[in-house]
Amino acid sequence: MTSLDILLIIVRVAFGAFVPLCFVAVCVWMERRGAAFFQDRSGPNRANIMGFRAGGLIQNLADAVKLFFKEDIIPGHIKHKFYFVLAPMIVCVTALVSFAVVPFADTLVLGDREYVMQAIPMDIGILWFLAIAGFAVYGIILAGWSSHNKYGVLGGLRSAAQVISYEIPMGLAIISLLVVYGTVNLSEMAQFQGQLLFGFIPMWGVLLQPLGVIIFIIAAFAEANRTPFDLAEGESEIVAGYHVEYSGMKFTIFFMGEYVAMFTSSAIIVTLYFGGYQIPWFNTATLLKFAVPVALLVMAAVPVIGKFVAAWIRKNNVSHYDRENDPRVREANVYIKIVWGLVILVEAIFFLYLVFASGGAADHILVALLQVCTFLAKTTFMCFVYVWVRWTLPRFRYDQLQKLGWNILLPLSLLNIFVTSAIVVALS
Amino acid sequence: MSIKVKTIVRQGKSLQERLYLIEVFKGMAVTFRHFLRNFLDNSKLYVRHYPEVKPEITPRWRGRHRLTTHEDGSMKCVACFMCQTNCPAKCIQIEAGERTDGRTEKVPVKFDIDLLECIYCGYCVEACPKDAIRMDTGIFSVTGYKRESMLMTMDDLLATKGAFSEEEYKKGGA
Amino acid sequence: MAEMVKLFVNGQEVEVESGKNLIDAVSAVGIEIPHLCYHPALGADGNCRMCLVGIEDGRPPLVPACKTPAAEGMKVQLDAEHIKKIQRDVMELELINHPTDCPICDQAGECSLQDYYMKYDGQESRMTVPQVKKGKKLDFGCGVVHDQERCVVCGRCVRFTREITKTGELGIVNRTDAARVNIFPGQPLNNRYALNVVDLCPVGAMTSTDFRFKQRVWFLSKEKGICHGCSKGCNIFIDHNREKYKDEVIYRFRPRLNEEVNGYFICDEGRMTYKWENDQRLITPRANGSEAIKSAAVDSLRNAISQASKAVFLVSPSSSLEQQFAVKAFAEQAGATVLGFSDGYIKAGDGDDYLIQDDKAANRAGLALLGIDATREAFEAAMAEADLLVSFDNALGCSYDQDGLAKVLGSCTLAVIATNSDSLSEQATIAIPTASYSEYSGSIINCDNILQAFARAVVKNDPPEDIVEIVNRLGGELENNQQVWAALKKAVPTLAEVEPEQIPEQGLALTS
Repeated sequence: MTSLDILLIIVRVAFGAFVPLCFVAVCVWMERRGAAFFQDRSGPNRANIMGFRAGGLIQNLADAVKLFFKEDIIPGHIKHKFYFVLAPMIVCVTALVSFAVVPFADTLVLGDREYVMQAIPMDIGILWFLAIAGFAVYGIILAGWSSHNKYGVLGGLRSAAQVISYEIPMGLAIISLLVVYGTVNLSEMAQFQGQLLFGFIPMWGVLLQPLGVIIFIIAAFAEANRTPFDLAEGESEIVAGYHVEYSGMKFTIFFMGEYVAMFTSSAIIVTLYFGGYQIPWFNTATLLKFAVPVALLVMAAVPVIGKFVAAWIRKNNVSHYDRENDPRVREANVYIKIVWGLVILVEAIFFLYLVFASGGAADHILVALLQVCTFLAKTTFMCFVYVWVRWTLPRFRYDQLQKLGWNILLPLSLLNIFVTSAIVVALS
Repeated sequence: MSIKVKTIVRQGKSLQERLYLIEVFKGMAVTFRHFLRNFLDNSKLYVRHYPEVKPEITPRWRGRHRLTTHEDGSMKCVACFMCQTNCPAKCIQIEAGERTDGRTEKVPVKFDIDLLECIYCGYCVEACPKDAIRMDTGIFSVTGYKRESMLMTMDDLLATKGAFSEEEYKKGGA
Repeated sequence: MAEMVKLFVNGQEVEVESGKNLIDAVSAVGIEIPHLCYHPALGADGNCRMCLVGIEDGRPPLVPACKTPAAEGMKVQLDAEHIKKIQRDVMELELINHPTDCPICDQAGECSLQDYYMKYDGQESRMTVPQVKKGKKLDFGCGVVHDQERCVVCGRCVRFTREITKTGELGIVNRTDAARVNIFPGQPLNNRYALNVVDLCPVGAMTSTDFRFKQRVWFLSKEKGICHGCSKGCNIFIDHNREKYKDEVIYRFRPRLNEEVNGYFICDEGRMTYKWENDQRLITPRANGSEAIKSAAVDSLRNAISQASKAVFLVSPSSSLEQQFAVKAFAEQAGATVLGFSDGYIKAGDGDDYLIQDDKAANRAGLALLGIDATREAFEAAMAEADLLVSFDNALGCSYDQDGLAKVLGSCTLAVIATNSDSLSEQATIAIPTASYSEYSGSIINCDNILQAFARAVVKNDPPEDIVEIVNRLGGELENNQQVWAALKKAVPTLAEVEPEQIPEQGLALTS
C-alpha cells in the first residue's frame, strides 16, 4: 500500500464523514432562511460576529453554542437511561454511515491504480443504503419507548408504522431501477447515467424511470420524516413526538441526524435518478479528452459568476431603513472583496494547471474535482427541494399517509416493475 | 321565512386535482415565486425592522396605563373603585383615603396595577367616570427583570405622560 | 294570623294583610312601591311623595301609599303613565341639588336614590342654574358624618332621634331648597344608638367615620349573624370581604330585622364588636410556654388533662350552647369540674330599657340551662384543690385584677383556648386559637330566653377550629354540632322537642 493509497483513503473517508456534517449547518441555514423567504419574512439575520452576519449563518453558530452549553438532562422518571442515551446516536450514526456508499466522483485513475470515489468502496451499494437507513427507525422507536412518555411512544409508533409502509414502495421502486441499470453498485449506476439516450439526451434515471422517481422521492421524504410526512413529531397533537423528553446535546444529535438523513437521501436521489456526479453531455471520458478547453471555459465563467454574486450582495446586503453610515454596506464591501479574492484564487489555480500540469494525472484530478462540485451542487439543490416541499405542503393526516403508502404507491410501484421489465425484455 | 343557506362549492373532485401531484407542483410554483422574488431583492419582504423601526401607535392603542391629573397637577382619580370592580383580571388594587387638597373628599392612597395580571382590555378606562385612568402612554413593550418591577404603583402611573395631544386622543374615539 | 284582604295591583289580584299600609302590605307579596321617607320603624311621614300611587275609582285618585291602609277590593295603579310621570318628576326634584358624587359616596350600591334613578327616572338633568351649596363632611358626633348636599330631607334621622332614642339631637332647619338637617349648635349626637341613622338614611347623607372609604359595598358579602356583644343577641348582617391575596376581613355589622329580639336597630357598641373579629386574634398556638404548631399544642393539652389530678374546665358564658355542652360532656368523661364563673362579663348599670343589657355575655341562659355552676364560691373552691385550669374562651381576666388572678391560680397550670389574645392567654402555659362567633355555627339563648341559631358567616384562609372540634381532638366523644344536639336533646328536657335545623329565623322562645 503506497502513501498515495493511504492519502486517498483518508480523503475519501473524510469526505464521507465531514461533508454531511458540514451540510447540517448549510441545510439548517437553508431551511430557516428559505422558509422565511417562502413566507415573505427575513428569517434569522441578527446574530453576528464583529458585525458580520454571513447571511444568517452565524445564527447556526449561536444555536450550536447554546445547545452545547445546555445542561444535559435525563428526566428522573426514565428507567432505561442507556437506551435513552443510545437512541439519538443511532439516528445520527445510521444517517452518516448510509452516506458512505454514495460515489461523489467517477473512479479516479492515477497512474496504474484505480480509486473508487466512495467513502467505503464496496459493491453492495444501494442495498447498504436500504439496510442502514432502515436502522434509523430503531433510534426513533427506542427514543419514544425509553422516554416513558405517552407522546414519545405515540411518536415512535407512528414512525415505525410509517417506515414499514414506505420501505416497501421504496424497495420496489429500486427493483425496477435495478432492472434498468442491471447493477446494485452505485458507482456503476452513476457511470451508466453518463451515456446518452438516442445520442443526445443524458440517460438519467429520471428519464428512464419517470414513475419510479416520483415513488422513490415520496418514499424518501417519508423515510426522512420530513413534511408532509413528519407525523412522528406532529407538534399539534403529540407535542414533539419521540423527542419530547430530549434536550440539550441529545436533542442536538437528533436534530443533526435528521438533517444528515435529509442530506444523505438527497445524495441517493441524485445518484439514482439525476446522474449522480455526471455533468450532462460531459461524461468522464469526454471531460478527460477536452480537459484544457473545459478549464478555459471555467476560467471564463468564474469572473462572470463572481460579478453576478457581487452585484447580488451589493443589492441585498443593506439596511432597509434609514440608517447613518450603514454598517451592512461596509459588511457587503468585505463580502465582495472575498468573492473577488476567491475568483482570483480559482483563476490562479487553473492558470497554474494550464501552464504546468495539463495532461496526465492532473487532468484526472481536475475532472474529479469538477464532478465533486457537480455532485454537491445537485445534492444541495435536492436539499432545497426538501425545504421547498416542507414550506409548501401541509402535513398529512395519519390515515391519509397510510392510504397513500399502501393503496397508491404500492400498486404503482408493482406496475412500474411490470412495465419496466416488459420494456427491458422487449428491447434486449 | 327560510334560513339563508350558502352552498359552498366543494373543490378537489376533478381528476387533475385528485391526482394531487399536479396541484402539488402548482403550489410549489407559487411558493417558489415568493422565494425567488425575496431572494433576488430582499427589500420586498413584508417585515418591519423592529426594534430599529418602531411600529406606529395610534391614539386608540391600549398601551400601559397612566393616571391623569388636573391642570394643577392634582390627581383626577377619586377612588370610586369602578376600574377595580370592572377589571376582569382583578389586577387593580386600590385603597381609598381622605382627600386634603379641597377638590373632593376621597382619593386613593394606594393604586396598584399588576401588569403581569393585566390583560389590557381597557375596561378600566371605559368604566372610569372621571377620565382619571387612560391607556394612552403609547407604551406597548412592558418588560422587567423582576416580578416586583411589573407592579405599577400610583407614583409610576402618575409619572407617565400621555403620548398624544388631547385632540388626537378625543378623535381616537375616547 | 292577621286578617287577609284581597286587592288589585296593576290589575293583578293579590292577598295581603289588612291593617298594614300599602307599602308594607304589597311588599310582603314581592311588589315594590318606591319610597324614601317611610320606614316601618319610624312610621309614615309622607314628605317625599315618592310612594304616590293611583287608586282606580278611588277618592282621592292619588294617595301616598305609606299613609293608605290596604283595603278590600282596592285597585292600586303602579305602572300607569301618570304614576310613572309622578315618580319621574319626584326624582327630578330630588336630584336638582343632589351633587351626584356617587364615585366618592359610600352609599353607592345600596342607595335608594341611585336605585330609583336607574329604575324610575333615567333622564338627564334639565337644570342650568348652579346647584345650591350646603355643608359637607359635618361631624355630627358619635362617628356620624353628614353631607347636607346629598340629603333628600326625608327626615328619617330626625324622627329616629325623636321617636326611638327620644334624645332629639337632630332637626331640619330652613325651608325649600335651603332646608337641611343639622344639629343644635354645640349639641352633637349623643346617644348609644346614633349610628343607626347611617343605616336609616336612604342616601349617602349620613356616613360612618368607621366605615368611611373602607370598602365599596358591592364588594361585601352580607351574611346573617347574631351579635355577641351582650345578652340581647341582636340580629345582624356581617359584611365581610376577602381582598385579593389577603384574608377575610369583616368591615361592619348592620342591624337585621327581628321583631322578637331587636327590631330594626342595634346599639353602637355592638356594631363595633366586629373589630374583635379582625384584630388582636390569637394566632400562634403555644405549648409549654413557647410557640408551637397547633397539633403540638392540642397534644400537650391532652396530656396535661390526662395527667392532672384535679382539672377545672371554665366555659365561657358567650360560647354557644353546643360548645358549652361539649365541654361539659368532656369534663364528665375526663373527671374534671366544669364551671362557668364569669362575673367580669356583667357591667352593672350599663344596660338600658331598650336593647343594651348589663350582661355582656351572649349565652348565660345556656349555662343555667345546662346546669353549669357560675358562682364565684364554686370556682374559688374548685381552684383551691385544682392543679390544671382550662379556660374555654372565658375572659377570666375581666373577673379578676392581676393580683387576684395570680392568687386564685396559685401553682395551677393554666391552659387557654381563646379567640383573642389578652393578658390571660399570654400567661397561659398552653394556648390554642379557636374560632370566633362569626366563624362557627351554633345556637345561643338570650336574656329573654329566646333560642337563636346562627350559621358560619366567615371562612378565613386558615380557619381556626371551633371549640367543639378542639374538645373532640382533646378526647371528647362528640364530633360535631349534630352529635352534640342529639346528646343535648337527651340531657336537657327543655330542648327535647327542639330541632336545631328548624329554629325559626325569629328565634324560639323557650318556655320553662
